[in-house]
Amino acid sequence: MNVNFSLSLKLTFIVVLLSTAIVVSLSYINLQQQYQKEDDILTTISRASVKNFAEAHSIINSLEDKFVSYAFFNNSSIVYDNITVLIEKINEKESLETIRLNTINIYRPENKSKPETLSIYVSNDKSLIGNPSDIYNDRAFDTGDSFYILQEDKPILTIISPINISNEIVGTQEVTISMFPTTVSHEEQIKYIIIIDFICILLLIFSLLYLLRKFIVKPIILFREFTQKIGQGELNTKVELNSRDELGDLADSFNQMAKDLKESTEKISEYNRILEKVLEQKDEFIGQLGHDLKNPLTPLVGLLPIIKQKEKDPEIREHLNIIHHNVEYMRNLIFKTLKLAKLRSSNVEFDIETLNLKDEVANVVSSQMMLFRENNITMINRVKFDIFVEADQLRLSEVFKNLITNAVKYTPKTGGQIIIDAEKGDNFVTISIKDTGIGMNKEQLNRVFDEFYKADKFSSEHQSSGLGLAICKRIVEKHGGHIWVESPGEGMGSTFYFTIKLSREK
Amino acid sequence: MAKKVLIVDDDIGVTYTVKNGLGNDYDVTAVNSGKQCFEFLENDQIPNLILLDIMMPDMSGWEVHKRIRENPSWKNIPIIFLTARTDQVAKNAGGFLAEDYIEKPFKIPELKNRIEKILNRI
Repeated sequence: MNVNFSLSLKLTFIVVLLSTAIVVSLSYINLQQQYQKEDDILTTISRASVKNFAEAHSIINSLEDKFVSYAFFNNSSIVYDNITVLIEKINEKESLETIRLNTINIYRPENKSKPETLSIYVSNDKSLIGNPSDIYNDRAFDTGDSFYILQEDKPILTIISPINISNEIVGTQEVTISMFPTTVSHEEQIKYIIIIDFICILLLIFSLLYLLRKFIVKPIILFREFTQKIGQGELNTKVELNSRDELGDLADSFNQMAKDLKESTEKISEYNRILEKVLEQKDEFIGQLGHDLKNPLTPLVGLLPIIKQKEKDPEIREHLNIIHHNVEYMRNLIFKTLKLAKLRSSNVEFDIETLNLKDEVANVVSSQMMLFRENNITMINRVKFDIFVEADQLRLSEVFKNLITNAVKYTPKTGGQIIIDAEKGDNFVTISIKDTGIGMNKEQLNRVFDEFYKADKFSSEHQSSGLGLAICKRIVEKHGGHIWVESPGEGMGSTFYFTIKLSREK
Repeated sequence: MAKKVLIVDDDIGVTYTVKNGLGNDYDVTAVNSGKQCFEFLENDQIPNLILLDIMMPDMSGWEVHKRIRENPSWKNIPIIFLTARTDQVAKNAGGFLAEDYIEKPFKIPELKNRIEKILNRI
C-alpha cells in the first residue's frame, strides 16, 4: 500500500503544480493583454488629441464604460472659425449651434445608449475649466508641448495638448479620462480571476488525477498484484486490462509470460519427477549392486587370511598381502556406499537422544589413541562439559570418527595437533575440528564433501574411499545441521565445522 | 567331539569359505538350498547351530527359519542369519532370543566369535 500511496502523492503534487502554473500564467497573460489594451487606448487618445480633434473624438466615442470628458479652449478669437469648422467636421450630422465659444457651452451628444458616460466640455475660457490643468494649458499653448497629468488623490488622467491648425497653435485641448471605473473593475476582475483560477485548478487537478489514476496507477496496481501472485506460484493469474495502448501491450506480454512460465514450470516439475525416479533407481541400483558384490567377496575376505597364514613363500605372501589389502578396500567401499545410499533414503530412522558433547568426543578420541600415537598427533579436547546436544549417538560418533581420522590422514607423519572445540549458539552448537595438516586449495574446499572425491595427493591411497565426508555431510544434514570447511590455503591446516541442535533440557 | 554346524547358502563360494574357515574347529556340513536343509534335518542329523542365508532362490531364509521353528524337534537349534542386507534382518530378526546375524562379507575370526558366543550361552 505504501508504494501506491506515495505514487499517488507524487502525481498529485505534479498535477497541482502543473495546473496552478497553467491557470496562473493564462490569467496573467489575460490581465497583461487587458492592461496593454487600456494603455494602447490611452496612448491613442493622447496622440490623436495632438494630431487632430476629430480622431480623438471618434476614439473617445468608441470607448465604453468610461467616463470621459474633454475640453478645449483658445485665447484668440481668430481661431473661432477654424474651431467651428473643426467641430463641424467632427460631428457632421450634429448641430453645432449650441456652441458658443465665448461662453461655456456644454455639448451632449445625442448618443442615446450611453448619454451619461460621455460628456464633452468645450470652452474658450481657461478659467472656467477650474482644474489644476490651466497652468499647463498656458504652457501647452506657449510651448506646443503636450502634458499628461495624473492627479494624486483621484484616478483621473488629464491630457493637455496644443491644437495645431495650419502650423499655428490656435488653442489647447484638454481630455480628462476618469480612470476610476476601470480601476474598480480591475480589482474586481482580479477577484473574479482568482476565484475562476481556483475552480479551474481544482477541476484540472481532479480530472488529471482521475485520468492518471485510471490510465497509470490502476494498471500499475494490477501489475503489482499480478507479479505478487506469480511470485506466490499462482501461475493461472491474468492481468485484466482492456486498454489498447502500451500498457495493454504490456499486460498481454505479462499474460504471455505467465503462460510460458506455467508451461516451463510444469516441464520442470515433470523433469524433476523423472529425475527423482532416476535417482531412486540409482540408489536402488547401487544398493542391489552392493549387496550382490557381498556374496562373491565373502570367500575373498574369509579365505585370504587363511591362505596367507599357510603360505611359506615370501614373494607369494607379499602378493597375497596386496590382494588382501585391495579386498579390504573393496569391502570398505561397499559398506560405505551402502551406508550413504541408506542415509539418502527417506525412511532412515535416527535414534535421537540427549548427549553430553564432551563425553561423546572423549569416547571417540580414546578409541583412536593408537592412531594418534602412530602419527605423532597431539589431541586436544576443548569442549566444555556443560554442552548437551540432541543427536543419534552412533551417527554422531561416526561423524567425529570420520573427521578425526580424516584430520590425521592429511597431517604429515612428522606430527601435528588436532583441536576439537564447541561454541554454543541460540539453538545450535558449532563444533570445530582444527588440524595442522596439509590444508586445502579452493577447488578442494569446494569439493571435499562430494561423493568419491579425494584430495589429489592421496587418491592412490587405498584407505580412502572418498565417501567419509559425504557420509558426515548427510548425517549432519539429517540432524538438521550443516557442515563446512575452512582452510587458509595449502600447507596451512584445515578446520571442519558442523552444527548440531542444542538440547533444551539442562 | 567337534560341534556340528550346518551352513545353508546357495552361493558355493560362501559355503566353501565357511567350510574351510571353520573346518578346524567344527564339523561343518554345507547345503545349497532350503530343500537340502530339510533333507539333512529329516535324516535326524541335528546340528548344534545353523548358519542360514536369507536370499535363496527356492525358499527364502525366513521361510526355512519359520519351518524349523515350527518343528518341535528342531525349534531349539540356534540360527545365525548370513545376509547381505542388514536392514532387512534388523527389521525381522528382532524378538528371537537365540538368534543373531552377520553381514557378508564377514571375516572368519568374527564368525567364529559369534558362533562361540551363542554356543556358550546354551
